[in-house]
Amino acid sequence: MWTRMSEIDRLFSAMDLLRSSNLDRSYGEGSGWRVVGGFPKTNMYDNGDSFQVIAELPGVSKEDLNIRIQGNYLELSGTLKSDVPEGYKAHRVERNTSTFSRSFTLDAEVDADRVEAVLRNGLLTLVMPKAESAKLKQITIN
Amino acid sequence: MSENKELSKRTEGMMERQQNLATVAPVVDIYENDDEILLHADMPGVSKENVSVNVDNGTLEITGIRNLHVEGARSWAEFGDVEYRRVFSVPQTIDVGKVDAELKDGTLQLHLPKAEAAKPRTIEIRSA
Repeated sequence: MWTRMSEIDRLFSAMDLLRSSNLDRSYGEGSGWRVVGGFPKTNMYDNGDSFQVIAELPGVSKEDLNIRIQGNYLELSGTLKSDVPEGYKAHRVERNTSTFSRSFTLDAEVDADRVEAVLRNGLLTLVMPKAESAKLKQITIN
Repeated sequence: MSENKELSKRTEGMMERQQNLATVAPVVDIYENDDEILLHADMPGVSKENVSVNVDNGTLEITGIRNLHVEGARSWAEFGDVEYRRVFSVPQTIDVGKVDAELKDGTLQLHLPKAEAAKPRTIEIRSA
């Protein structure tokens, strides 16, 4: 199961590479890339020693969010709950209510025990330190 | 470099409209009951200090500015710094003084109470 998922992810991350050449595309014009991205929208940064992912998760409380990491596989899933109080009549409903799931293959393995996750103002920030084995090592020449 | 930093610091504190900031309309849900109109708008990443709500002459304007403040090499980015902005027409019967706004998990929850005169009333029928 895991391997099959990562195969698919690898395919998508190749597409992500293509996409990153045109970064501002995801806003404004509704290009086809949106389908690849899906919900939640994410940004990925490489800080050398760690990866940083930020994801847009408006209206999601931390109880409704699951983060799973194994090696270089990252999965964000959860539920967008309806927050309509009872007895109200809906005039307009643009916000989604559904379950979501999105997975990524990271460029290197991460140390899952030292991952920090903060959910603030509807924005998830994940800092994932790279595993020791994945870090660049300076080799001393004898 | 240091000059640059100072400049960006100065702009952070300002609620004024920033240059080169993409404007995005936030998605909203609008509900109504007998007492109020309720509006939920998604503005992920916007902090309380950067939201403004204006009700004026039958127009409601909500804005929010998001600055991500991230460093590191970008592998991909599907969203960026934005100004959320959306304008609505609201009935004149909204009691502007009692409008209540709350920001929860990146969602702006706006309660727009109806003025007493605008609330539906059940008329009691007297027997003649």
